[in-house]
Amino acid sequence: MAMTKSQRRMSFSAFRYLVLTFWLCIVAFPIFWMVSTSFKPDKEWFAWPPVYISENATMMNYLVVWADVSEYATNEDGDLETYTQSLQRPWEALGNSALISVIATTLSVLFGAVLAYGVSRYQILSEGRMFQLLMLRMVPPIVLVAPISIWYSALGLLDSITGLVMLYFLTTLPYAVWMSKSFIDEVPREMEQAAEILGASRARTIWEVVLPLVRSGLVATFLFILILTWSEYLLALLLSKTAVVTLPVELSKYQGSTEGRVYGRQAALSVGITLPLIVVGMIIRKHLARGFSFGMVRR
Amino acid sequence: MTAQTTMSAAPINQRAATRAQGIRRFKWTVLTPFLALMIFILGPALLLQGYFSFFSFSIFDAGDDTSFLSYFRASQWVGLDLWADALTDSKFGFAIVRSLMFAVGVTVGCFIIGFALALLMYRPFRGQGFYYIFFILPMLTVPIVIAYTGEMILYQNGPLNDILSRITGLRIEAQFLYKQEIALTTIGFMEIWNWTPFSFIIMMAGLASLPKEPQEAAQILGANRFQIFFEVQLPLLRPVILLALILRFLESMAEFPKTWGLLQGGPGSATETIPVYIFINAWQYFDISYAAVLSYVVLILMVAIVMSAIWLLRREKKNLDAMYDAKPEEG
Repeated sequence: MAMTKSQRRMSFSAFRYLVLTFWLCIVAFPIFWMVSTSFKPDKEWFAWPPVYISENATMMNYLVVWADVSEYATNEDGDLETYTQSLQRPWEALGNSALISVIATTLSVLFGAVLAYGVSRYQILSEGRMFQLLMLRMVPPIVLVAPISIWYSALGLLDSITGLVMLYFLTTLPYAVWMSKSFIDEVPREMEQAAEILGASRARTIWEVVLPLVRSGLVATFLFILILTWSEYLLALLLSKTAVVTLPVELSKYQGSTEGRVYGRQAALSVGITLPLIVVGMIIRKHLARGFSFGMVRR
Repeated sequence: MTAQTTMSAAPINQRAATRAQGIRRFKWTVLTPFLALMIFILGPALLLQGYFSFFSFSIFDAGDDTSFLSYFRASQWVGLDLWADALTDSKFGFAIVRSLMFAVGVTVGCFIIGFALALLMYRPFRGQGFYYIFFILPMLTVPIVIAYTGEMILYQNGPLNDILSRITGLRIEAQFLYKQEIALTTIGFMEIWNWTPFSFIIMMAGLASLPKEPQEAAQILGANRFQIFFEVQLPLLRPVILLALILRFLESMAEFPKTWGLLQGGPGSATETIPVYIFINAWQYFDISYAAVLSYVVLILMVAIVMSAIWLLRREKKNLDAMYDAKPEEG
């Protein structure tokens, strides 16, 4: 029996919601599990059947991880046990992460946008050079970390904010240039020419004509690169030891902790690391698509 | 205005010359600090890498003296021995194969899911924004956080085994991460979860930007939905598809936080990908020289891959630009 057109449309719509909702569950579950675990008391971390939403929800994980509160609990023998992890310094790591990623991202986007403007308007880099720039990002960093760490130790840059900032700047610059170029390309040149004919100086044209039009794009670029540097793990792990610890490295310490797995604590720290990024991502979601297509999409 | 119209040819040339000079000055003011920083950091690193690939050195050789120069004093000329070792190292060979398989699997997985979701979603419908927000979430989470959260979910008594048990009615206690045969696949699924949004976003942008006229024309000519998709939409999307595939492939070749953070190459050597294998040599055996040789081999391999990828991308971009620039004459 052939379906009418409206029936076909209805069944397609139902199919679409079914598939999308299925993927929605897959996407949301790990995030739900992370949040839910962060509120579980320690007895429920490894329980079978697993606890989905704790009835004894507690803030203890957050207090221990973020406020350095000691928790006393009784083990099977009835003895008091302390669960404080005195080695962890999450606020310091948060500060380092924020400082490093904000400085590196600001430099990268400022510099990248100026370079992109030059490429877009004066072709100061040929297309071939632009693609070569992209190579900086495409070669895995692991192949150069060992000699860089030796060179850094000679310079005294090992375990320093400056050292990490310089590397983050270099590795994110290709994205900064390519993304901001795709926004600058969209500004019609006629507008700049009009401003110039009206007697505006170069600087004033850029400041008052171009900048307002690309501002949202540059903000998106900034936040995207902030996400990359905030979550960077390899370089932070290998080029910092004790003085400058970032959040991802701080989290990985829990994995090697001698007291065994502490899922609730891990989750509480994970929530703290992820939350800023999700807030940032929600702000830039509309601009992500344009910046990512690197000029491979025409409109 | 009158001054401009009466201007002779010579001053115009002069103005063009000063303009070109200004552009050149602007170019080098911008590029100099960047190039200086690159030469300052990457130059010595590449030289050191080259030096230690011919002079054998491990951190243990330096003993208590950890100064920069002691590294050179403790190193020993071995010529091409290490290169020969690397090229005959079967573990290294397996690491390369593993990384390639991992990257291909993840790239294809991300692309198929991302493209399918984008196809279902690119036309406006009720709830589009709602789904979109959720679908980009995984990209906004930190990879190392995904690794550890994944471990909690895949844990023997974790929720995934619970859900599988409830569906099948059996007690399932799968060890997704600690079985040699499936460990890398499990990491691959985490990576797909993490980066599908990237392919999804790119493909959404690509689909949304497709011109409507060719589709309508094909429809009028009696093409069905599949013909329109394969013969009209897909060819126009080629550059974007290529971009999504290449970027994802290269990033998954370099994947490190999940493999290292969770399994450190284990169980056995099931997750020893290229980055993990280099890491183990440099930071667990402290064999700087061997790691340097491995790095050079990988560097050469990756540069070859990247160059061909860039060649492909440039060709597609040129075709795309040519197609769009030719359009006004056609219409």
